[in-house]
This record gives sequence, C-alpha cells and structure tokens, in this order.
Amino acid sequence: MLGLAAQMLRHRKGTFVATFLALAAGVVVLTVCGVLVESGLRYQGEPQRYRAATAVIAEHGLAIQGPEHFGERETSTVMLPEPGTVAESLVGEVAAVRGVASAVPDRTIAVAAAAAPKVPVAGHGWASAALAPYTVLSGTAPRAEGEIAVDERLAAAGGLRPGGTTAILTGGTVRQVRVSGVVKASGGQGAQAALFFTDAEAARLYPRPGRVDAIGVIAKKGADEDAVAAAVRRIADAAGANAYSGAERGLAERPAEVAAKSFLLEAGGAFGGYAALIIGFVVAATVGLSVRHRRRDFALLRAIAATPGQVRTLILGEVGMLSLLAAVAGVPLGLLAVRWISGELADRGFVPETFTVSAGLLAAPVVIAAVAAVALLSAWIAARRTTRIRPTEALGEAAVEATLGGRVRVVSGLVLLGAAFVLIIVTGGARGQTAMGAAMGMLYTFVLAIALLAPWINRAAAVALAPVLRAVFGDSGYLAAANLRANARGMVAVLTALVLSVGFGGTIWFLQDNLQHQAVVQSEDGTIAQHALVGGAGLPAAATEQARRIPGVVAATGVRRTSVLVPMMGEAMAVVGQGIDPQGASRTMDLKVTSGKLEDLAGDNTVAVSSSQADSAKWKVGETAALWLGDGTPVKLKVVAIYDRGFGFGDVTLNSRTLAGHTVTGLDDHVLIRSEPGTDVGPALAKLAEAYPGSTATGTGQFTGELAKDLAISSWLNKLLVAVLIGYAVLAAANTLIMAALARARELSLLRLVGVTRRQAKRMANAEQAALLGVALTIGVAIAAVTLSSIVNAVAGQPVPYVPALGWVVVLGGTVALALVSTTIPIGRLLRTPPVEGMGIRE
Amino acid sequence: MSVPLPTDAVRVERVTKTYGGEQPVAALAEVDVQFARGTMTAVMGPSGSGKSTLLHCAAGLDRPTSGRVVVGGTDLSTLSEKQLTELRRDRIGFIFQAFNLVGALTVEQNILLPSRLSGRRPDPAWLAEVIGRVGLGQRLAHRPAELSGGQQQRVAIARALATRPEVIFCDEPTGALDTQTAAEVLALLRAAVDQAGQTVIMVTHDPVAASYANRVMVLADGRIVRDMPQPGVQRIAEQLAMLDRRPQQPPGQQQQQPWRQPFATREG
Repeated sequence: MLGLAAQMLRHRKGTFVATFLALAAGVVVLTVCGVLVESGLRYQGEPQRYRAATAVIAEHGLAIQGPEHFGERETSTVMLPEPGTVAESLVGEVAAVRGVASAVPDRTIAVAAAAAPKVPVAGHGWASAALAPYTVLSGTAPRAEGEIAVDERLAAAGGLRPGGTTAILTGGTVRQVRVSGVVKASGGQGAQAALFFTDAEAARLYPRPGRVDAIGVIAKKGADEDAVAAAVRRIADAAGANAYSGAERGLAERPAEVAAKSFLLEAGGAFGGYAALIIGFVVAATVGLSVRHRRRDFALLRAIAATPGQVRTLILGEVGMLSLLAAVAGVPLGLLAVRWISGELADRGFVPETFTVSAGLLAAPVVIAAVAAVALLSAWIAARRTTRIRPTEALGEAAVEATLGGRVRVVSGLVLLGAAFVLIIVTGGARGQTAMGAAMGMLYTFVLAIALLAPWINRAAAVALAPVLRAVFGDSGYLAAANLRANARGMVAVLTALVLSVGFGGTIWFLQDNLQHQAVVQSEDGTIAQHALVGGAGLPAAATEQARRIPGVVAATGVRRTSVLVPMMGEAMAVVGQGIDPQGASRTMDLKVTSGKLEDLAGDNTVAVSSSQADSAKWKVGETAALWLGDGTPVKLKVVAIYDRGFGFGDVTLNSRTLAGHTVTGLDDHVLIRSEPGTDVGPALAKLAEAYPGSTATGTGQFTGELAKDLAISSWLNKLLVAVLIGYAVLAAANTLIMAALARARELSLLRLVGVTRRQAKRMANAEQAALLGVALTIGVAIAAVTLSSIVNAVAGQPVPYVPALGWVVVLGGTVALALVSTTIPIGRLLRTPPVEGMGIRE
Repeated sequence: MSVPLPTDAVRVERVTKTYGGEQPVAALAEVDVQFARGTMTAVMGPSGSGKSTLLHCAAGLDRPTSGRVVVGGTDLSTLSEKQLTELRRDRIGFIFQAFNLVGALTVEQNILLPSRLSGRRPDPAWLAEVIGRVGLGQRLAHRPAELSGGQQQRVAIARALATRPEVIFCDEPTGALDTQTAAEVLALLRAAVDQAGQTVIMVTHDPVAASYANRVMVLADGRIVRDMPQPGVQRIAEQLAMLDRRPQQPPGQQQQQPWRQPFATREG
C-alpha cells in the first residue's frame, strides 16, 4: 500500500499541497516551541562564582501550600519577582554541619563603576571570593572601608590598577574608592564582573539587614561531599529555601537564568500544546477535504478490490510520507526561527543575553515524532469516514451531497450558543479577574458554538443573502447564492477558521492594546504632578526630601516599582505594585480612590489595592490582606484604601517603609513632583538631577510615554503567539478555499459552455466570496466586540473598547487579501482554460 | 447452506432492496434469478427499473434488504465487509460505464491493481495474453488521461480478466462509446465467455449491446418482466419500447448538470 501511496502523492500533488503546508507550518511552530522547552530543560549555568562550593543555599521560588483535597496537599511554586534572600542566621547552622569547613554568606550589592559604565557589575563581600575561588593577581584584598578589589574583566575595561582611585555608584550616591587589588576567578567569567568590598562594608551597603542572597558551603578536605550536600539540603528545606549542589550550583548564582528557564518551559510548553491541538484540527480538515475530493477514486478501489482497511492504510501512508517531507522542510526553518526568536526574547529582556539556546538535537526528533503522531491520528479520524464510501459510488456520476450534520451537533451547538449568551450577562455583572475569566470562557464558548453550527449558519446565510446577491450581482449573484447553498458543508472550515482568527485572535490582540491603552490613559490622568525626577540607578529617600524643599514645590512623592505576590485560587500570582512615600501623595497622584484614604498609608503595615485586585481577593477597607513581598516575605497588611487606577499605577500600593529591605536596591525609581502653577522649578530640578548620577528631570508627559513603551515590550510575546495562531488559522482557510476553487474546473467550463461569460463567472465567484467572508467577518467581529467590551468594561469601567485604526485595516485588508489569493486568482486562472478542454478534466 | 447447482455462477434468491427511510422505495421486489456459468446475460429495463441495483446486489457491492445472493457457492450475506472485498477481488471483475481507472496509476498498474491489493503475483503468461487480446501492448506506461474512452474501457476489461474471475459484472460498459468502439469492447467480452468460459452479467440500455448476450432479461419496477434467450436486436427494442412509458434518457446527458442537482439521483 505504501508504494501506491507514494504514487498517489507524486501524481496528485495538488491534492496534498494543503496538507503539506499545514504540516510544514506546524513543524516550524512546534520546532520553535520544542527547542525553547529543550533549552529551558537543559540549561544549567556553568557555576563560576560558586565553583569551589560544595553546596549553595538560596531562594528563587516561593512554595505555596494549596488547600487540602482528599488528604493531599498540592504545593505550587512561583518564581519570586525580586531576588529572594535567606536568613543570615542559617550561616551558623550550616557551619555546624559535620564535614563543613566554612559557610560563607554572599551579599550581592547593586553597583555601577564610573570607569566602565557598560560592564554589568555586582558587588560582593571579600569572604565570598573563597567560593570561586578568586586569587589576587596584583595588589591585595580589600582591607579597609573605601577599598575595593576588582576582577580582571572590570580592571581591563575600566583601566583600573591597584593603588588608583575610581568612582562607584552604590545606594544612589557616588563615592570615590581606592582599588586595592585585581583578582581573577579560577573558573570562567560569569555574567557580571565582580567587585569586592570588605565584608563589613558589604554588610553595611546591603539593603536587607539580617538577610543574605546566598550561603556557600565549602566542605573539609576528605569529607563526604554528598553527605554534606544532603545535610545542607535538610537545613534549607526546613528554612523554606533551596539547596543547590553539583551542576545546579550554576543556577544558584543566576536568578535571571532560572527565571528564564521556567519562563521558557511554561511558554514553550503551553503554546506547543495549543499549537499541536490546532495542527491536529487543520490537518484533519485538509485530509478530510482531500479524501472528499478523491471519493470516486476510493470508491473504485473499494469496488475492484481494496478492503476498507487497505483504503485507510493508503490514506495513512500518504499522510505519513507527507509528514516526513514536512519535517524535512519545516525543521530547518524552525531552527532558523528559533535563532530569530531567541534574539528577540533576549532584546526584550524575557531571557538574559547569557542564556544559551540548545541546538535542538533532542527537540527536532521529538517534534517530528509528535507531528507525525498528530497527523496520523487526525488522518486516521478522517480515514474512518472512508468506510462510509460505498463501492457503488464508483458506478454513477451522481455526487452524494453530504448532509449538514447530525442532531447531536446542532443540539450541542445551540446549547453552547445559549451558554455563551448567558455568559455575557455573567461577565456584565462581574468585575476584575472574575470578569476576565468569564469573558474568556464566553469567547471559547462562542467560537466552539459557531464551529458546531457552521453548516447551518452557512446554509441560512446563503438563503438570507440570496435576494441581496441577486440585487447586487444580478445573474451571477443568483448562481452564487445557489452555490453557497449547495456548498454549505464544504465551506465549514472557512467559516470556522475565519471566526476563530477574527473573534479569538482579534480579542486577544486588541485586549493587549486595550490594557496598554488603559495603563497609559490611567497613568496620564492619574499623574497630577507636572515633573518627574527619574533615577537611572535609583534615588535615595533624600532626593524626595530635597525636592520638597525646592521653593514652589507643593508635594513630592518618591515611587519605587516592584512586584508583589498575591493569593490567587490557592496559588500565588505576581502583580505590579508600587512603594510610595505617602506624605502628600494625593497631591502628586490621583489613584481615583473609591473607599478609604490614601493618606492612611502613613500608618505601619498598611496597603492600598486596586478595585479589581480587591474584588478578586475579596479584600475590603479595614480588613487584613495576607500577601508576599517581591522577595517572598509573607506580610499581613491592613487595607486602608481601594482605588480604580490599577492599570496605571499597579494593583498594590505600599508604603516604601514596608518594602525596605525587600528590594534589590532599596531605592526609589522616580520622584513625582508637583509645583505651584506659575512657578518655574525647572532649573532647581535640573540641579537636583545633577546630584544623582544617571537621573534626569523630565515632564510627566514624557514619563508616561516610557511606560507605554515598556508595556508594548511585555505584550510583544502575547502578540507574537496570537499572530502565529491567526496565521495558522488563515492558512487553513486559504487551503480550503484554494482546493475548493481548483476543484471547480469542470463546473466553470460547463457554465461557460451554456452561455455564462467569463466576466459573469468571475462576478459569481466574487459574490460567493463576498457573502462567505462577509458572514464570517461579521460573526468574528461581533464576538470580538462583545468579549472585548465586556472585559474592558469590567476592568476599566469603559463600555467601548479601544481599537487602533491600524487594527481595522489589518482585519479587513487581511480578509480581502485572503479572498483574492485563495479564490479570485485561482478562479481567474481556471477561466483562462478553454471551456471545452476544461470539460475533459475529471475533478 | 444449500448445495449450489454446479452450473450457476451467481444465484439471486428472493432479493428485495428498499431505499429511503420514511417512504421506502422498493428498487428490487423479491427477485429470483440464476446466472449460468459460461454465459453472457444482458439485464435491461427503463431508468429506475432496478437493473443497476440488481447488479450491485449480485456483485456484492451492496447488501440486499432481504433475500440472499450466492456467488460460486458462497452466500454473500454471511460475509463481513472485508471478506466481501476479498471475494470481489478473487472471483469478480468489474467494468463500469466510465471512471474505471485510478488516474494516478499507469495502464499496467491499473491492470495489476487487484493482484497488488490481494498481495498475489499475477501469472505473467496469462497477463501477456490478456494485454495482447485487448491490444494495449504499446500503451502500458501511459496514464488513463492519455487514452481515448475506448482504450480506457479496454484497460478496464484487461483488469477484469487479469485475475481470471468467475463472473464479470458490467454496468453500461459501452454507454460512453461510439458504435465502432462499442462493438470492439463487446466482442472482447463475448470472447471472454466463449474462450475462457467466464460469466458476464451486463446492464445495458442498448439493444445492440444486448444482442451479444446469450440471454436477455428485462426489469420493470423492481421485478423481472421478461427473461428470454437471445431474441435479436429488433425484438429486444420492441420489448423495451412496450415497457418504457417514460421518455428514455441516455445516461450520458444526465451527468452534465451538476449545479442543478444538489441531491443524489439514483439511476437504474
């Protein structure tokens, strides 16, 4: 049968182009996902700064115990949005373990070297140099306050020599320090250059008293390293931290890579699974179509000698060979795409530059096997239908028109449609995350209902539009209406794919735009300060104090951006938050407080939350909210205010005091400054900015522009994924349309023989397209509009969603382009064949 | 199971076939007929008389609603779809009005298709003889699209002969051919009966085609109304004219209006 299948492939290429394209595109998408997942799985940063350590204790994730179900407790782990820390008190505990020579606390200090501003640097205490170990190349180790040792990379980049002085920036201020020596790690270079202070100075500069970033453990010579690692692990587990030993140590020193690792696993895995599902549907549809077009061939085979099993084997053989061909074409393209995407991901900060992407040696065969499995499974489902092809069909000319569909299909479609309408009401009554969830449910339900009801929708549209088509297109319109009616079943894939693209893709895509738009609008409306001092390397609290003392300044608010973890259905979810100095905050920012008072944030252990966050966590003013700060520290805070402008300012607003010791720098990101109208504080602010390196004084207008840019970056990935999905669905629609168009050679010839002119035939095809795509577009736009406005109304209180003009152009232009490419051009080509010749063509 | 008469290649016993659900239409009503080995039978009748249905049921392409069909001693009603296929492959050959061939395969591959599907190697001497008899020696590497209608029918005959089936069923084998070509095709079928002792059962409209048969059977409304030994062209035509109250429609013209026929029409 395989030989026969190969012959079918060779001779009837046209029939298989659609399946091949769908498979090859699927291989490309899945290869990208597969390689990203493989990179995430296999990434193990080479240990560098902790190379000499037997084990390292650090904390990068927060483990949360879910509610108990049937005696089992599920634990979920979320990545900490800020670097986690471990208690300094563990150092003594670890040092007491048998076989441990020393336990060394490591504090990482944010620092920039003026001599080499482009080199990423991290500061540490000198004791941690033993963990690599670093050896002194020239000069000495730092021995006094104001002395630093630099590694050779920083020394080379900044031209630093022992005995020289240089400026460094720590804690938002510039200091002159003396270079005591140049050191070199015995292993390779790490992601960041290293700079060492004395241990006492490192502890003083470190913004989190009582905590350290990591504890490195060095075993005694001859001690059982595994036993030491196990003992350390027990201590770490008891303290809720993680222990790393062996090859894992590389991860301990690179929290950004660890985050990238889990990001790639999640994003690649989730999207890959979704893509596999869609590929399955599309391949099943194209295989089904190719079977339908060759019904007579199969009936003939059945009549003269092929068992149903042999026909199925033939179809599976064809698809199996096609998926091999698709793998040959798709895998190299996918590997190219991975290189591009990983570059883009690194540019946008989703993964660090130092992250290595695997070659895909593991992913490629897995993807090929997965695509082949998906293709064969869907081909098998499509092939099962061939059992229904009766051999007698080979005998007559009469084509059997498929019925529209079974009763189960129409009933479940109607039930889903009803459910979707109920969900409109549910979404209307809900707010925040609940509304978002309900709206997404509604979107899925609508798309599914339309997919199920597609044959009847096509038929009904053909009947309803018949008078319109006749009026607009005349006789061609009359023929078009008849064709649409007869092909209601065949065009189901087109309707479904377009409704999916426009309804689903449009919603997700424009949702990103809406959220961005909301964030910018809220930030613009809510920022009532006219000026901002934006700190490049962080601003100490003194900067806010100094700004307040400028004559003409009414209020100044220091703001630090952070993320906090809030409870979400038994797990934790990171949300954007801000820490502010609440004194006079209501004169620089208007968060649109709906209950409580922002000023009450001055009290200890207080928090203000956005209304959508308050709704989903069921927090009210006066109640206590339990959440986690960015570094995983659990806090219980009293809710003092609830505000509406969560998109512009973050869902959680804290007093900066609460955040002290829980962020990397302990500094403010910017200071909002409000001045009396008519006073010019510009020169004074410019002078203030000079005092803090890297900071600039700007108008707040420019400041919100930056916010929009940041948001655009974070929505890039979502948009990319949606674009790939839409692209795939449109490919499916185009495939179906082209195959359907090319199958009409005989019909078109016949029409022309009985007197239809070429122009009329073209008009007929155009009328069909206009009706078919118009209906799909209308339904898709309606679904997108309902979902979008539900979400936007729920989260932002605005009934009319924001859709950029370019969005409309893309949706409408894309549909017209689809119609042109997939039908008008193929029909035009068919019409150039002389009709008498066309009559001889069988299919 | 009754012991079949050795002289019968195919026996149709009280076969009824009804189509449709709510208002069933009887295409065959308790038809009883035997086809003797080594004979050629023409089955005739107006459109809708049930002659194609009889052919389909007798050949195991379709299952009767009631009654049974015995081919070479095997009761078809006891067979699964797969066994039925295997029986068709080994003992039955088919020649249809048109679209007999798989377009992707060459002439030779089309002829060998049943053997290939059954996984059996054809007898090369017999194959050479069959190909020689239908006169396609020069055309073996061509594809069906490169052949004329008559040549395509001759390929179908070669395919039907290649496995040496006991019975060859033909559904309007000359319906799409001109008189000269039709005569050639009918002569080939006649030779299969006379020289190889095969059995041919042929549905046709054409009295001339029927005149090649040993026996002519006429159906009307699902029943056999005439069953006569070869009566000659003139007499066949008279019989048909008497029966056919509806205007006769050559089958070739029906096909050409697919856009006016969204629903299936069952012919014969």
